[in-house]
Amino acid sequence: MRALFANRSVRPFLLLVIITLVLGALDRGQGRLFTTGTAYSVLQQFATVGPIALGLGLSMIIREFDLSVGGMLSLSGCIAVLTGADYPVLGVALAVLCGLAWGLFQGGIMVWLRLGSIGVTLGGLLTLGGLAYVVTGNLSISYPRMDVAMAVNHPLLGVLSLRSLVALAAFLIAAFFMARTRVGRDVYATGSDRRAAMVAGVRTSVILPAIFACSGMLAALAGALLSYSLAAASGVALTDALVPATASAIIGGVSLTGGKGTPIGIIGGVLVLGLLNAGLNAIGTPPAVQDVVTGGVLFMVAVADAVDLDPRLLAMRRTWVELFYRRREPSPAE
Amino acid sequence: MTDQGLAIAWRGAWRLPLPSSRRGQILVAIRGAALLTLLVIVATTPGFFTAVSLFSLLNTTSFIGCVAVGMTFITLSGNIMSFALSATLSTSGMVFMAALPLGLPAALLAAFAYGAALTGFQGAVIGYFRANPIIVSMAALALITGGATLITQGHGIYPEGNAAAALKGRVLGVPMPLAAFIVTAVAAQIVLSFTRFGRQLYMVGSNWRAALAAGLEPARVVLGAYAAAGLCTALAGILMAARYSSGDLEIGLGFDYSAISAVLVGGTAISGGEGSAIRSLIGAFIIAVCQVLLLLHGFSTQIQYLAIGLIVLFVIMLQTLADTE
Repeated sequence: MRALFANRSVRPFLLLVIITLVLGALDRGQGRLFTTGTAYSVLQQFATVGPIALGLGLSMIIREFDLSVGGMLSLSGCIAVLTGADYPVLGVALAVLCGLAWGLFQGGIMVWLRLGSIGVTLGGLLTLGGLAYVVTGNLSISYPRMDVAMAVNHPLLGVLSLRSLVALAAFLIAAFFMARTRVGRDVYATGSDRRAAMVAGVRTSVILPAIFACSGMLAALAGALLSYSLAAASGVALTDALVPATASAIIGGVSLTGGKGTPIGIIGGVLVLGLLNAGLNAIGTPPAVQDVVTGGVLFMVAVADAVDLDPRLLAMRRTWVELFYRRREPSPAE
Repeated sequence: MTDQGLAIAWRGAWRLPLPSSRRGQILVAIRGAALLTLLVIVATTPGFFTAVSLFSLLNTTSFIGCVAVGMTFITLSGNIMSFALSATLSTSGMVFMAALPLGLPAALLAAFAYGAALTGFQGAVIGYFRANPIIVSMAALALITGGATLITQGHGIYPEGNAAAALKGRVLGVPMPLAAFIVTAVAAQIVLSFTRFGRQLYMVGSNWRAALAAGLEPARVVLGAYAAAGLCTALAGILMAARYSSGDLEIGLGFDYSAISAVLVGGTAISGGEGSAIRSLIGAFIIAVCQVLLLLHGFSTQIQYLAIGLIVLFVIMLQTLADTE
């Protein structure tokens, strides 16, 4: 079981099965869980969190971390809503372009000044959040095109929607590139050992900005479509997206130590969180329980992936054995 | 620590930290120039010291500053930042308010113990298992927020009576939060500069493996750093709860980002091992001064958000000049 759980590409889907079974047991056959409504709701969450988790996951695969996705999510939503009233596609395109430019800027700075990603993207997060407030004038802006808002969320085949299809397409493209092309292999090489990759001829100074550009574009895509579907945008949304996106990527088998994880695994991670939220909601638990469960799962995965877990557990076991052994030892008085 | 060791520490603490390398000197020059520019702008801005907004801002800065001093311990230990301090702040304020009927000392003790234990536990997981600090703090954020909402059913805590009034007054004419902030920063700096724990913290933060090889137990040091961060955060929570006469889950919202901004603007390295509590105090005040200046020059709140973001980004870009080879 432990070996199966340790297998990164299997873990998210194993969790998915376990959670489905547990939720099904909690539902006690009342049929609240296995409905197209729940499936649709899971996939709608997938559409929002998925692209962000994918971008964040890609940055984690090259052993970096893109904190700025939350800021990009809110800024791109504002840009799309402000510019996309006449031509919705133009709004999305501008938002994605903005994500591309900012990602290249951040990645460029990291390569040029040899800085760590967490610092740069933290500055990026705060700057983007500030920009979102500036472009909206600190107000919540409504999007006049209700037809577009309906269209992006309109159920297709019962469970899908335009938004979730776009997210799925992004994942499939990423999965293809990561598994089947040289670029993908270079990305993994950059993540597992950057210096070795550089020596082997991988142009890591190109890979890094490219990955951050992808991350920016994906967050912008998610933000633009989310704001269309809500028919509104505002500056506030900094951490709301970051925690579920990180949790999804981590549960999906991506490791912050780099070089591990796949887009397909991240799909599994996003679905695990989405199913937890939608499923617990469907069987009528309060939203706070979802927070606790998300936190608990994230915590368990964090401990399971910890660097020094095995030696510490071994040391603990030794201490226990010693204590047990000493107790059995006859004392000199006897 | 021996007398000789203390003497060395004492001299080291007051030595003007002029770096030997050229890039380091450029860094100091840029920082000095930026500080000087800020002072000149302050001096030429009419009504800076009489601004009404100054006082309310000073309170907010003090609350953020306490968290920033706590965050400094985490950053110095090489664990970047915690996302859970805001939730810890809110909930320790709630613990304080809930325990207030037992008397002020008991309530203080409960809140401090809560903050130190909660954050210390994260430190233990991060230190002993070497789990990723970002992920652990995100998990803690979700667990604390969810748990607190479940326990309180989403309501704030409003105690009867006025037992916390003592925390709302002034100390020697200085508002309580400001006094507490300055005392916290100075106390933290003394711990960092003059105790064995402080020295070990710098060593663990700059090089974990070297610390391990030198015979330290880095895990214990990290645990200590997180517990210290919890104490500072609990203090901010207590003061905020006393000020608003209620414990609420919302009061700490966004404090993680404000605190880490203050830490970084103060010049503490995000990679750990270099920086100080006093720097975070300076950083918090620089951000506050910038906010007042922008306000007095007629810029709106949203421009302030943007300006702080740009300042943080700029300061982080300056880090490239620090001595890292």
